[in-house]
Amino acid sequence: MAHLNISNVTLSFGGLKALSNVDMKIEPGLITSIIGPNGAGKTSMLNCISGFYHPTKGEIYYKDKKLTHASPHQVSNMGISRAFQNLELFSGLSVLDNLLLARHQNLKYSFLQAVFFYGKASRIEAENRAYVEGVIDFMELEAHRKSLVGNLSYGLQKKVEVARALTLAPDILLLDEPMAGMNQEEKEDIVRFVMDIQKERNITVVLVEHDLGVVMDISDIIYVLDFGEVIGSGTPEEIAQNPKVIEAYIGED
Amino acid sequence: MSANSWLATGNFFTTYKQEQRTFLTSLDRSFFTLFLVILFGWPLLFELGNKNMLVIDNILIAIVAVMGLNLVTGFAGLISIGHAAFVGIGAYTVASFCRTMGDSHIIITHFWPVLIVVSGLVGAVFGAIVGLPALRLKHLYLAIATLSFQMIFEWTIQFMTFFNQGQTIYVGRVFWFTGKVGRKDHYLFWYFIILTIVILLGFGIRNLLKTRYGRSLVAVRDNDRAADAMGMNPGLTKVYAFALAGFFAGVAGALHAYVYRGVGFESFTLHESIGYLAMAIVGGLGTLNGSFWGPVAIKFLDLQVETLAEIAGKYLPSSMNLATALKPFTFGLVIVLFLMFEPRGIANWWRITKSYTKLWPFRY
Repeated sequence: MAHLNISNVTLSFGGLKALSNVDMKIEPGLITSIIGPNGAGKTSMLNCISGFYHPTKGEIYYKDKKLTHASPHQVSNMGISRAFQNLELFSGLSVLDNLLLARHQNLKYSFLQAVFFYGKASRIEAENRAYVEGVIDFMELEAHRKSLVGNLSYGLQKKVEVARALTLAPDILLLDEPMAGMNQEEKEDIVRFVMDIQKERNITVVLVEHDLGVVMDISDIIYVLDFGEVIGSGTPEEIAQNPKVIEAYIGED
Repeated sequence: MSANSWLATGNFFTTYKQEQRTFLTSLDRSFFTLFLVILFGWPLLFELGNKNMLVIDNILIAIVAVMGLNLVTGFAGLISIGHAAFVGIGAYTVASFCRTMGDSHIIITHFWPVLIVVSGLVGAVFGAIVGLPALRLKHLYLAIATLSFQMIFEWTIQFMTFFNQGQTIYVGRVFWFTGKVGRKDHYLFWYFIILTIVILLGFGIRNLLKTRYGRSLVAVRDNDRAADAMGMNPGLTKVYAFALAGFFAGVAGALHAYVYRGVGFESFTLHESIGYLAMAIVGGLGTLNGSFWGPVAIKFLDLQVETLAEIAGKYLPSSMNLATALKPFTFGLVIVLFLMFEPRGIANWWRITKSYTKLWPFRY
């Protein structure tokens, strides 16, 4: 059974239909990519899944839990985390604190224990610090652990963004254009991380990306959106042959 | 353990628990202990007189209030222009006990520590209620919502006969283990009490900032969309920030009532709210030590201006009312200058000084 079941989702803002009757199935353990021209509704789709938008029509199920009207923090607590397209980091905090914030739900101690910082609070903080260090190690951010996120370069901030989503220990990781605005070297870096996330950590990845080369290389399944509709889906080979997709990207003969 | 526990250089940690300590070097800890000894010890050596002790008590009360304001405005980024009203809630909690039970009832004179905590909790409840609009409102609109609470508070106090229509409600003298605290020792006694409270609350905040309850405040300030995606409820976090600020304000209010031995509405006006905001800005928003610098700086400035105005008043004709004009003028000037040249407040000077001395005796 599919991990994430998106059926018949329509999202409209007044007269504008951002998504219409979208059906998607995200299979566990695979990298599923969503591609499409600008304004096709890729980010809207991710927003619907992660709870920032609620579909006007249709249903989204994660395993057997209904996500259609859940708010973002409920969705992330179910095990679906996301990295944002435009950097949405806590710029006034260090990399470490940014990642520790993603452990919020795992820090189970009471307010009074926090005020006195004894026993449980101290122990759980240290445990989660160790977990965060694991992610820092994985994402190769050791050198920037204590620097303020706002002072880091764009490429590094993108990396922190992915790392933060990963710190939530999700089942499904939604990545919204993690490679936008990066040079070739940084792109290759992130691609390597995305593949590692899937293989080593066994996390299902949903990738929204413009770089077709990357998408074709690493995806297991691709969905192509255009004007809010799914115009093609399947393995990279199938997509490359799909006449509708070629038409949307290159135009008619 | 580290090779050198005294200086920041060569001081390293081998477990995450070690890094959680409040004082990272032994030098820091020793200095702080020495500082505390001086704070508690000096009144035993010098005698300042009631007038000066009142000023110092006043500063300490302002520190308690500004610590709360700094949590909601500095750390959580929610501008509150109704903070004096929260302080007022605390003071009037004590006052309403006095009105219903008489101002020398045993609860007021003997169980004052309980009453201070109760005032804090009442402040927290009001803080949470006033914070409810934060579920929907942001930035300036939220500030206006807190302003309206200030107005409602002032209006309610001035029109309710239960609160003596804003006229002074007396609070009785308290008892310590040695008996009734007399007129001579009153301010000195409260100096020790408030100092202890300030230290406890200060450590409380320091601890809180190391945990999820502190980090979530900064998260909603920096980016509440991302905070939502990280699994915390940003609306509830904001309400909680207001409740926290309300608690500190409530405690400060109760202390105010006890130190002045009376509660009148003119100590909790909009003017005072702006004053607290100014202290938080001058001290440094979003820093703990800023909550200490701000009140000290502003209150001392007030004092200096008063002396200056007195001296000037001797040489100028009485028709030129310099004393009343000089105070708001310097107050405004200082805030404008800080906003222009040091928006991060005095806490930033402290940070710079610390980073200079950190690597001493090496240059880098």
